[in-house]
Amino acid sequence: MAERGGERGGERGGFGRGFGRGGRGDRGGRRGGRRGPRQEEEKWVPVTKLGRLVKEGRINKIEEIYLHSLPVKEHQIVETIVPGLKDEVMKITPVQKQTRAGQRTRFKAFVVVGDGDGHVGLGVKCAKEVATAIRGAIILAKLSVVPVRRGYWGNKIGPPHTVPCKVTGKCGSVTVRMVPAPRGSGIVAARVPKKVLQFAGIEDVFTSSRGSTKTLGNFVKATFDCLMKTYGFLTPEFWTQTNFSMTPFQQFTDLLGKPTKGLVLEAPTETVEA
Amino acid sequence: MAEEVHLGLPGPWAADYREKADHYTTKIGGVPDWPTVDMGIKPETLQCSLCGTKLCLVAQVHAPVAKLNIEERIIYVLVCSTPQCGPKPQSWKVLRVQKCHNVMQTEGGGDELGQSNGPPSTSVPEEQNDKNKIPEIDDDDFDLDALAEALEQAATLASNSKKKNKSKHANAPVKCPVLKEQACDPSIPFLPCFYIYYDKELFGGKGTVGSSSSELVLDKEIMDTANDEEEKWEGEKYEYDKAIGADRTYLKFKKRLDAYPQQCFRYSYGGKPLMATTKLQDPGTCKLCGSPRQYELQLMSPLSYFLHEAGDGSSNYAPSSWTWLTVIIYTCSKSCCPSSCGGNPHSCCWGVAEEEILIQEDEVR
Repeated sequence: MAERGGERGGERGGFGRGFGRGGRGDRGGRRGGRRGPRQEEEKWVPVTKLGRLVKEGRINKIEEIYLHSLPVKEHQIVETIVPGLKDEVMKITPVQKQTRAGQRTRFKAFVVVGDGDGHVGLGVKCAKEVATAIRGAIILAKLSVVPVRRGYWGNKIGPPHTVPCKVTGKCGSVTVRMVPAPRGSGIVAARVPKKVLQFAGIEDVFTSSRGSTKTLGNFVKATFDCLMKTYGFLTPEFWTQTNFSMTPFQQFTDLLGKPTKGLVLEAPTETVEA
Repeated sequence: MAEEVHLGLPGPWAADYREKADHYTTKIGGVPDWPTVDMGIKPETLQCSLCGTKLCLVAQVHAPVAKLNIEERIIYVLVCSTPQCGPKPQSWKVLRVQKCHNVMQTEGGGDELGQSNGPPSTSVPEEQNDKNKIPEIDDDDFDLDALAEALEQAATLASNSKKKNKSKHANAPVKCPVLKEQACDPSIPFLPCFYIYYDKELFGGKGTVGSSSSELVLDKEIMDTANDEEEKWEGEKYEYDKAIGADRTYLKFKKRLDAYPQQCFRYSYGGKPLMATTKLQDPGTCKLCGSPRQYELQLMSPLSYFLHEAGDGSSNYAPSSWTWLTVIIYTCSKSCCPSSCGGNPHSCCWGVAEEEILIQEDEVR
């Protein structure tokens, strides 16, 4: 008991004696210290059932989550199963509110995350400090990662490079229309939506926008909305009958006995555009 | 909301899950430690209302109330051990075991929540004073050193005293190895057991994160690049947090959970619960005295994660089927005496009252 106190004083913020069973290791206790040496490797304790399944490694691809439309409530889920996720801060703007004692300024951060291969997320966060806003926006962006469907303009040679069909997205007064483009056209768009499209992994596209694109917040959200709709568009490939499969919760409940009960998971594969 | 919230953080695992502790211990899992052998609890109370199997203990919280001068008060949270009953709220039960009159107290009362009113035991207020000083100090180093000292004191005190330290601040995490008897009834189902130690939640609310110098440089860079661009982002207004799968209430819940990612339960007598979803049913009134119920404590999801991890993966293990985000417990606001002693202080015995429980589930759709 005395040794526990000694250990506690010796290791800054960490308990030497961990949980022991199940290989949990030591728990890094973060004692309100946000400054100074932060424990970056702080272990994730999942909150939701989905988080638990991802942590155990039962779910390997994010497509399994998208297939059943499960809400992702923890950003660590996305961090774990989407490798190669890069983030970039697109803009930090001050947002002001008039109060009796003058103006109160907060900062709004726009962050886009993506792996350049069909997954992109957009996060917007307002906070009193820039660092808080950026951190919060990165987390929100990871929570909002969506799949992007890519297709062909003409010949189905090589990997898909453009949007499968004409799609349009809207936010506020801004509408963004994306039109398939032949290989080699590049992303024909304004600077701001171009970044989002690059993170999504689209190589060639023609875009057309309408509305007050000066409100770049709405512009970037409209582009994101447009990308979300690529998988919502019913094309002849999806006319065949769907074989429904069990959700991960049912699949991994031991009540059903053997977990591998002959499941056919039809994860939407983007390369097969026949 | 300036209510103090105490967090139950995980301590050491019990060497044997069925080992007995006393009724002053706060622990998760294991076998319930009733204060006296003959509690007079009807067997139906300890059975699941849906399927009739015996309930197992999830949490045993020693919860004295300083304001009402009640020291002998324990809250037991029980759940049905079959996985099928897990998702249904009727399979949970909360019992408040209390002994009302404490005239015969030898250690003196009123020391529970850190107010030292000339207490008889000398070592208790020292720790409380240490602990009270700590939240005011901002420096990291001092925080941890003083905390370590206080914990050492608490640990040595616990090893010397027979009775469990009742102060919320200085709960010794490790139980004396002397008491390792098995529980009396071998047929009670039990969950893996670990002990709890308390900590006060240091949550600064909005914006207590101080930016270090490196972060300031980053800010400047961003602002500079912003001014160079020809586009102006116009018309931006404040926007609430939003994600595709999570709403604002849940994001706030997650933020507080991330501050102390291992919190197993939150205790705040009469405070406000931390909601995970917006809809909440009315807790109702106490069945014994009719006074309204108020929030006392809530169990948090890391608890079900720890229990799930400790399980051996069998299909009959209840915590593996739990999907709740938080379990909120409401108790009688007057903490009425559940025993039938008629107010006579010398012959007051232990009484059991059933309290209300509300589960906030993780909705998948």
